[in-house]
Amino acid sequence: MEEELVGIKNAAISFTLECNSLEELEEVKLQFLGRSGKLTQTIKNIATVPLEKRPEIGMLANEIKNIIEETIEQKHETLKSEHYKKRKEAIDITKPGIKPKIGHIHPITQTILEMIDIFKGIGFQVADGPEIETDYYNFEALNIPKDHPSRDTQQTLYLDTRNSKVEPGEVILRTQTSNMQGRIMQKIKPPFRVIVPGKVYRYEQVDASHGFEFWQLEGFTIDKNITMSDLFGTLDYFIKKFYGNDTKVKFVCHNFPFVEPGAEAYITCTVCKGKGCTFCKRSGWVEMLGAGMIHPNVLKAAKIDPNEWQGFAFGTGFSRMATLKYQMDDLRLLTNPDLRILNQF
Amino acid sequence: MLAPLSWLKEYVDITLTPSVLGERLTEVGLGVEKIEKVDGDVIFDLEITPNRPDCLSILGIAREIAAIEGKKIKYPKLKNDLEKIKAKKILPLTIETDHKINPRFTGIIIDGVKVEESPEWLKEKLLKINQRPINNIVDITNYVMLELGNPIHAFDYDKIKDHIMQVKLTRGGEPFKSVDGLNYRLPKDAVIITDSEKIIDLCGIKGGYNSGTFDSTKTIFIRVPVEVSLLTRRSSQALGLRSEASSIFERGVNAGGTIDALKRCVDLILELAGGEVASKIYDLKNQEFNPWKIKLRIEKLNKILGIEIKETEILNILERLNLKPKKSTEIITVTVPTYRNDLKIEEDIIEEVARLYGYNKFPKTLPFGEVPITEIPYFKNYKIDEKVKNILKSCGFSEIYTYSLISEKALEETEISPEKTLRIDNPVSLEYEYLRPTLKSNLIKALIQNKPNFDEINLFELGKVYLGKNIDDAKEEYYLSGISNKKNYYEIKGIIEIILFELGIDEDVNKNIEVVDEGILFELNYSKLLEKMTNKKLFKQLPKYPPVIEDIALIVPNEIKTGDIIDEVKKQSEVIKQVALLDEFGETRTFHIVYQDMQKNLTRDDAFKIRDKFLKVLKEKFDAEIKK
Repeated sequence: MEEELVGIKNAAISFTLECNSLEELEEVKLQFLGRSGKLTQTIKNIATVPLEKRPEIGMLANEIKNIIEETIEQKHETLKSEHYKKRKEAIDITKPGIKPKIGHIHPITQTILEMIDIFKGIGFQVADGPEIETDYYNFEALNIPKDHPSRDTQQTLYLDTRNSKVEPGEVILRTQTSNMQGRIMQKIKPPFRVIVPGKVYRYEQVDASHGFEFWQLEGFTIDKNITMSDLFGTLDYFIKKFYGNDTKVKFVCHNFPFVEPGAEAYITCTVCKGKGCTFCKRSGWVEMLGAGMIHPNVLKAAKIDPNEWQGFAFGTGFSRMATLKYQMDDLRLLTNPDLRILNQF
Repeated sequence: MLAPLSWLKEYVDITLTPSVLGERLTEVGLGVEKIEKVDGDVIFDLEITPNRPDCLSILGIAREIAAIEGKKIKYPKLKNDLEKIKAKKILPLTIETDHKINPRFTGIIIDGVKVEESPEWLKEKLLKINQRPINNIVDITNYVMLELGNPIHAFDYDKIKDHIMQVKLTRGGEPFKSVDGLNYRLPKDAVIITDSEKIIDLCGIKGGYNSGTFDSTKTIFIRVPVEVSLLTRRSSQALGLRSEASSIFERGVNAGGTIDALKRCVDLILELAGGEVASKIYDLKNQEFNPWKIKLRIEKLNKILGIEIKETEILNILERLNLKPKKSTEIITVTVPTYRNDLKIEEDIIEEVARLYGYNKFPKTLPFGEVPITEIPYFKNYKIDEKVKNILKSCGFSEIYTYSLISEKALEETEISPEKTLRIDNPVSLEYEYLRPTLKSNLIKALIQNKPNFDEINLFELGKVYLGKNIDDAKEEYYLSGISNKKNYYEIKGIIEIILFELGIDEDVNKNIEVVDEGILFELNYSKLLEKMTNKKLFKQLPKYPPVIEDIALIVPNEIKTGDIIDEVKKQSEVIKQVALLDEFGETRTFHIVYQDMQKNLTRDDAFKIRDKFLKVLKEKFDAEIKK
């Protein structure tokens, strides 16, 4: 009986190893392990073995059963992977993939979402406000009274006031997203941290770097101890997150009526990395943001006490930030619905 | 503003190289736009912000350099002391002015000048900064203005009829010929000077041709005024006429500098054109233009800037800026020279310290303290936009952004009356005259634009439209609109239904879909959708019992609407959970029907009973028959 068992084992192993397909292997499995298989039958015959030898034979039989099962299992794995390999080999994998027809999200949206993400991380909330705006919120609340020379740089589009109660010149298309400073400051008490992405309008002739409609991102925060160092730190963080850690930022003094002290941020040109190219007019630097500490007159206009509260504000033309990021050499590419442009994003 | 290095060096010793100096000037607020080497000299082109009229002069820029370099300013030395000159003869002149429209009127008469070409050095200096030399008198007035920042005008004394000068406002419409020979009609409330019969000066902007200094001029009256910013600005804008003088006046001239400018001017005239002083110094004003004081709290400075600048350094910076700081306990009092009329409040002085300390030496910190959590007014959740846009993207639509301003033609093409649409008074062009009340016209245009390059075009825009027929009821709303030239009505409908499902809204979308020449168009009032949106997605228990599912082919007359059939079937029993059109061919429509009882096991016989019931109703209502 012992010999018989060992013979079955050897036969089963050699048959198994010779198998070339899963079907053949299945047959071998039946032949030995099936209900009427050789091993099964032999095990049934153990009853005929003398009583004292039975435990020993029984153990041997079990051991052999395990070995056969394991061998078959291993062979099964091998054959299976070979089987799939062959099936894949039958496929010409060098052919291009068949892509589902999907569309594209506009680079402006991608830019807005990315900026929001960056500022959300440091506690800013997003606001959205009117584009049809009063002279008050667009200018006066921002310490830009009528006849202020800085209005020259923001040539304004005025709405037709016929058939209405509004005085001509009082309702305009906002020239800057800063209009939301007054609107928000009047409605809630500090502290707050706000960003406002949105469309703005100027009376300007269109060329590669100017448009009468473009996008800005405004940001402002007011609390008891917001400092100019916080302003520089926040802008530095924003720019590095948006353009990459290797971008350098430098700040210079600049005048905007609604901030004091005022600043402007330049970044190393994203195209040439500061070496100088046509994008940055060979200077290596690109003007990117206007900013500063909110002017006490702006706070006072919103009935916020400048002795108790202080804050910073900044604004950037993000149409420009987007074009610079994607190395587009013309702002008009953003409002051109040509799919040959959009499909690149 | 152009500033040659050689000229700047007359007033301040400069040790920095031009490129480093350029960077430093930019950092302190005088943005250097260009540095050009011309004939061995270096010319800086500077962007002067409206708050710094003092830097519209070479001396003003030299003062900034002196502050950067920590050097003293060297003022031009005068050969004659005007205060000590006794006029040999006094020529008559009557000046009538109004301080409200002319705060200061400084002037003097010089007799016996010889008007001729300027000497080479003067012509060269003017040419270097793109000023056309005219004659020695005019050139000197221009030179002194460019040097010191106070505009000066020279009148031909003999052409001032009856030697009367009256400062007054225009009524509007008066003709005026400027000294350079151009004709204007003056606006109302422009400040002018008249003699006894004519207008001889448009104050602060241009002198009159009729009293200008030409070769034959022998006697001149030099006027160094202070004009009212607002009045200068308004007239200059109304006329579309800008001059160097008007740029300075509208930003605010150095009101304390008229006498110094007059002295400098007379000194040069006596030297280069001869003649002698023939009047007292006129200086008509109703207030003294003295320096003013501002208090700076060191604690406040540190609190605003977020750094601690050493007190000695603060004082040193203020000293370099000629602000004469005086310290007592924690307060520094500065005295602001009259040329710095941009310095009015404590924050202005803080900026002065910060900009010379160097913005790039500041540490970079983030706001600390508690993060505000109250939802701000005007809050917008861009996550929802993102979700909606991603659905459209995965359905094959590409996003576009188009102009909010559209033409009258575009309105008419979408059958909207221009009279009922918001309009811009001063559009950049007629192409962009109206605020769009729909996104449709831009989408159609965009589709047509893409036709030559693409076979299938699917576009969408999520953007504002501007509603209301006039400003009183103007309203801005976000619309979500799209167009496709290849997808059919049902595909578009399905996509919108998916979007509404995602927003938790259940409503009919047929009103939002339109068939147009170019394909299928949809337009949704996205702002309204956001209002209706429900965020509550709640789990419903899975059914415990299996459903009965069958597909039934019905023969229905063509005019019967599928939606009506589905509604009718659903009405028949609560057990009918789903009715969907599977297929249609000719008069046959195949419906997929799911019967499901949530309480018990539904047998096929139970289901067939319900089926018989709705078949009977369909027969009666729609003459529908089951297909055998």
